[in-house]
Amino acid sequence: MESKITKKDLHNMAIRSMAEQCCFSFERMQAVGFCYGMTKCFRKIHGDNNKEMAEAMANNMDFINTEPHMAAILQGLIVSMEERGQERSLIHGLKTGLFGPLAGLGDAIWWYTAMPIIASICCSLASQNSVLGPILYILFWAVTAVVSRIWFVNLGYKAGVSSIKFIGDNAGALTKAAGILGVMVVGGLIPSYVSFAFPETLVVAGSVSIQGIFDSIMPNILPLGFVFLLYWLFKKKNVNTIKLILLVIAISILLSFLGIM
Amino acid sequence: MQITLIQGLLIALVVFICAADKHMETFMWFRPLVVAFFTGIILGDISLGLKAGAIAELSYLGLLTVGGTVPPDPLFAGLMTTVLAYTTGCDVNTALGLAVPFALIGQWIGTGTNTFYAGFLPSIDRDVAEGNEKGLEKKMYIGWFLYSFLFAVAAFLSVYAFQSGISAFVNAFPEWLVHGFEVAGGLMPAVGLALLLVVMLKKENVAFLLAGFVIMVIANCANILPVAIIAGCIAFVGFNRDIQIAKLQESATASGEGEFEDGI
Repeated sequence: MESKITKKDLHNMAIRSMAEQCCFSFERMQAVGFCYGMTKCFRKIHGDNNKEMAEAMANNMDFINTEPHMAAILQGLIVSMEERGQERSLIHGLKTGLFGPLAGLGDAIWWYTAMPIIASICCSLASQNSVLGPILYILFWAVTAVVSRIWFVNLGYKAGVSSIKFIGDNAGALTKAAGILGVMVVGGLIPSYVSFAFPETLVVAGSVSIQGIFDSIMPNILPLGFVFLLYWLFKKKNVNTIKLILLVIAISILLSFLGIM
Repeated sequence: MQITLIQGLLIALVVFICAADKHMETFMWFRPLVVAFFTGIILGDISLGLKAGAIAELSYLGLLTVGGTVPPDPLFAGLMTTVLAYTTGCDVNTALGLAVPFALIGQWIGTGTNTFYAGFLPSIDRDVAEGNEKGLEKKMYIGWFLYSFLFAVAAFLSVYAFQSGISAFVNAFPEWLVHGFEVAGGLMPAVGLALLLVVMLKKENVAFLLAGFVIMVIANCANILPVAIIAGCIAFVGFNRDIQIAKLQESATASGEGEFEDGI
């Protein structure tokens, strides 16, 4: 059977896939943008048959929430299944089953690993007053945004159900590996970017500097302790993000007012 | 320093573009590092934009849109950290703390539109039922435009219209209060990192966090790349091991079933 979907259509879908998160609503999350990515291909498959077109679109208009890069894999897969005229309930079941694991994997790779690493490299350039910082940042994300989506759309379209299931099954091991990478990088970011030190003039028992005591235990132990304090407040005490930020500001102002920071 | 009308309009335009990207989360132009850089160019102080962007980027690192929650807005944080440092002449650390209320404005816009777009769905569903993809596309574009437009208007008001009021307010602060915000600026990255850890940290991972921390303390290098490479090696080894274990388990269960059949 000759394929109706050409290479150009797939590239076009990769570009449209960038709008996957548009019109995000609390009711069905990414449904509108997800469906939008595939409408051109659906039209090409079904021609003027509006009834088929309506059913294909409606099949993708319910709740979906996945990671924007990863959505391209699903879109490629759905279009290939739609083209081969497979059961819509099967397509729907696969979509519902896969968007969760893909979201976990995508978040771990893009947001928790790639973002901290590239951000910290570019921020250290920027804080040394180099325009390379933001420019490198823009370039990195522009290239990955385009290349990953073209790759993922093709992967979803060509690899077929079994391979995508393989990714879904191994998402656990991949997520875990990305987790190790991400956590270690965050550990490294703590001493470089959190500045929490008492002034040298703050002394106890005559001439012993308080900061000197902490430094002799372990340099940067205060930033590490502070991050864990916030972690504990958020995780165990359910303090929300805004309260956490306001708390940090309040503590800082208090320390400044008392003249110990 | 004053922000001119032209500068205010240019900033609104940049915010419109960056907010359009924020709606998709595709090119990361809504991240503070990029927004502050563009703002710095418009204000004619690129070095300020770089400094403000670097500190705001790290502070808002962990504040990500995950699972549909809307965090304090990184776009406004990057924009207002730069603008407040420029108009009030304060340190970027101080400006970062002062920018928090504006980041909340961005957050409210996001929560508002996410709620509002649910109202689009019935009419989009009607288009879908007719097989009319053009209707869906048009409504999506309207929603997208509306979001960016709201951001641009909010940015113009904060940056240009209310600038003298804001800077007079800040300039009335006593010394200890300004310094307090500066201290807060140094501590704020801890919020972002702590929030990252809330999602990422598991019992089996804690060792790697501490290892990364200690390597960075003793290596004392300018950026995180060396730690990232070591971490990549460890992650690779771990991944291979997990795959091997999974394979072994599979073959073990397969042969186990075989023995059972033989037993019968």
